[in-house]
Amino acid sequence: MLRVGLVGAGFMGAHHAAGWAATPATLAGVLSLDPAAVRSLVERYGGRAYASLDELINDVDVVDICTPTHLHYEMVLKAAAAGKHVVCEKPLARTIAQAEEMIAACERAGVKLLVAHVVRYFPQYAQAKALVERGEIGKVAVVRLTRASFRPRRALDNWFLDGEKSGGMLLDLMLHDFDYARWIAGEVETVFAKSVSAARPDAPGDYALAILRHRGGAISNLESAWAYPPPLFRTSLQIAGSHGLIDHPADSAVPVKVHLMADAAETPDIAVPASPLTDTPYTTEIKEFYQALVHDVPPRVTAHDGLMALRLAFAAIESARTGRPVSPQEV
Amino acid sequence: MRLGIVSFAHLHAEGYINNLRANPEVDVIGFADDNPERGAHFARRYGIRQFDSYEALIAAQPDGVVICTENARHRPVVELAAQAGVHVLCEKPLATTLEDARAMIEACERGGVHLMTAFPMRFNAPVIEAKRVMESGALGRIYGANTTNQGKLPRYHSDYVRAWFEQKDLAGGGAAMDHTVHLVDLLRWFLGCEVVEVYAQLNDILYREAGVDVETGGLVMLTFEDGTFASVDCSWSKPPSYPTWGGLTMEIVGETGLLTVDAFKQVTAVYGREERARWPYWGSDSNQAMIDEFVAAIRDNRPPAITGYDGYRALEVALAAYTSAACGEPVRLPLI
Repeated sequence: MLRVGLVGAGFMGAHHAAGWAATPATLAGVLSLDPAAVRSLVERYGGRAYASLDELINDVDVVDICTPTHLHYEMVLKAAAAGKHVVCEKPLARTIAQAEEMIAACERAGVKLLVAHVVRYFPQYAQAKALVERGEIGKVAVVRLTRASFRPRRALDNWFLDGEKSGGMLLDLMLHDFDYARWIAGEVETVFAKSVSAARPDAPGDYALAILRHRGGAISNLESAWAYPPPLFRTSLQIAGSHGLIDHPADSAVPVKVHLMADAAETPDIAVPASPLTDTPYTTEIKEFYQALVHDVPPRVTAHDGLMALRLAFAAIESARTGRPVSPQEV
Repeated sequence: MRLGIVSFAHLHAEGYINNLRANPEVDVIGFADDNPERGAHFARRYGIRQFDSYEALIAAQPDGVVICTENARHRPVVELAAQAGVHVLCEKPLATTLEDARAMIEACERGGVHLMTAFPMRFNAPVIEAKRVMESGALGRIYGANTTNQGKLPRYHSDYVRAWFEQKDLAGGGAAMDHTVHLVDLLRWFLGCEVVEVYAQLNDILYREAGVDVETGGLVMLTFEDGTFASVDCSWSKPPSYPTWGGLTMEIVGETGLLTVDAFKQVTAVYGREERARWPYWGSDSNQAMIDEFVAAIRDNRPPAITGYDGYRALEVALAAYTSAACGEPVRLPLI
């Protein structure tokens, strides 16, 4: 029986715990700075509260890391050193050098490093990928991706807004679409980006646009916002190809809408898309990771993909800072 | 007021003829076209008097003309009209070179006539409502805008095929020349300042196998004087089966709000038993409001709401997009 130790009991930790519960794996326990969150997860999904990372690592087969970005590096290295498989939330690391070291360490240790780029598991995004792969829209020409919500206002010292910890919006949020654009249209030659935070770090929100040029000639337009009025969260996806168009406008995947007088007070801390599914995309992701861990089935997203998404994000950050187009190979 | 149409080369002439006829002040004296086959076709279709030449049309002393020649052929007729004291409404893009655009502006100044650039989107009712929201200050300081003006390949826009839209020498380019200028004009109008930097990536993946050799895909990043940035998707990326010709959208994000505009959302979806889906439009006709403004400017002897200068600045951005795409670097404005 595969034993999983969960590190981090925040928003993503809870989703991963639910995901493991839908597999034959056992949630051995949870480690978090938030005892109430740990209690809530173990009551619901089983396992126990760990007192330290070492204790957790020694007790499990898989370490599932759902902590703030800046903590991934050390935790992954520790797990790898102990010969334990790793599931790691995106972004894989806070820097490219760290990510490369983490990948090398896992390879040396012979353990799997599974990076949770969950957008690849959202059904409309997975379906669009499948349509493209089947050649239904011919050669990909122009990709448009939007991921926009309000400024995160999370508990636990709101690490999202701490650039040192999260890397900022481009690394945390636009990263999803860097990965997806690359999955759909191939390797990227050039990134050109503009961001509010690069020009005006004191602005109350952040907004960014990026134009990518892919090796095969396709181009992508990415938009991200931490600026919307809560609780608004919009994603959209459009892929134009030589023989057709795939279009998922913002709001199109919201089949159930409820508008209440109380809405204004009920805004969650961070936003997630609302589209009811039997399995959440997080559960679909964890189920695939289970297959990878137990039956060695290659997952749709690799550690290398996680690294390349980081490269694109850092190229965008560099472009927004310098005003120049940047090759992801330069960063 | 006596008005004429110069050429049916641009497909918008097909709309303008009806808009001119719908304005009670206007007497459409006729049109001229340097393409005899095209002239005969549209003279028949609209039952409109055809002059033998542009010179003959201008010699009939209309108060104004609507210029719908190929993009690269605007200048000689604009100069002809200006010299004769005839007011001009010129189809966009104003020209295909800044030299031509400048010469047209100067000719109209010398001739003492109005030069209006045909930017109908400024008269689109949803766009006007969005402008009102912008002016209210409700969005706070603007961060940026994500905009699209996507369409079908021009050959699919009308049952009368106009091949020149896909020829660089006559159109000045492809999708970037065709579809960048509307949004540049709207964003200049909304933000009240000029573009200072242009970056663009263009490609020709769509319709390359059909022999189209101008760019069909394009993404342009604009930076304005006040630091606002905006991307424009000018691609001819709506496939022939798309239920309507294309569209124009803007998402504008500010410190205190989000504004989204879908300028052609006012449609009814129609699903036939055999025919493909269609979205017939029921929103207000912005071309009509634009023609009415041209007429009012002539009547009231005042400058039109959109000038040749506006056309010049939008063209400059489109040309800078080509320069940027060729060199891979952002390009600073003004170009000259």
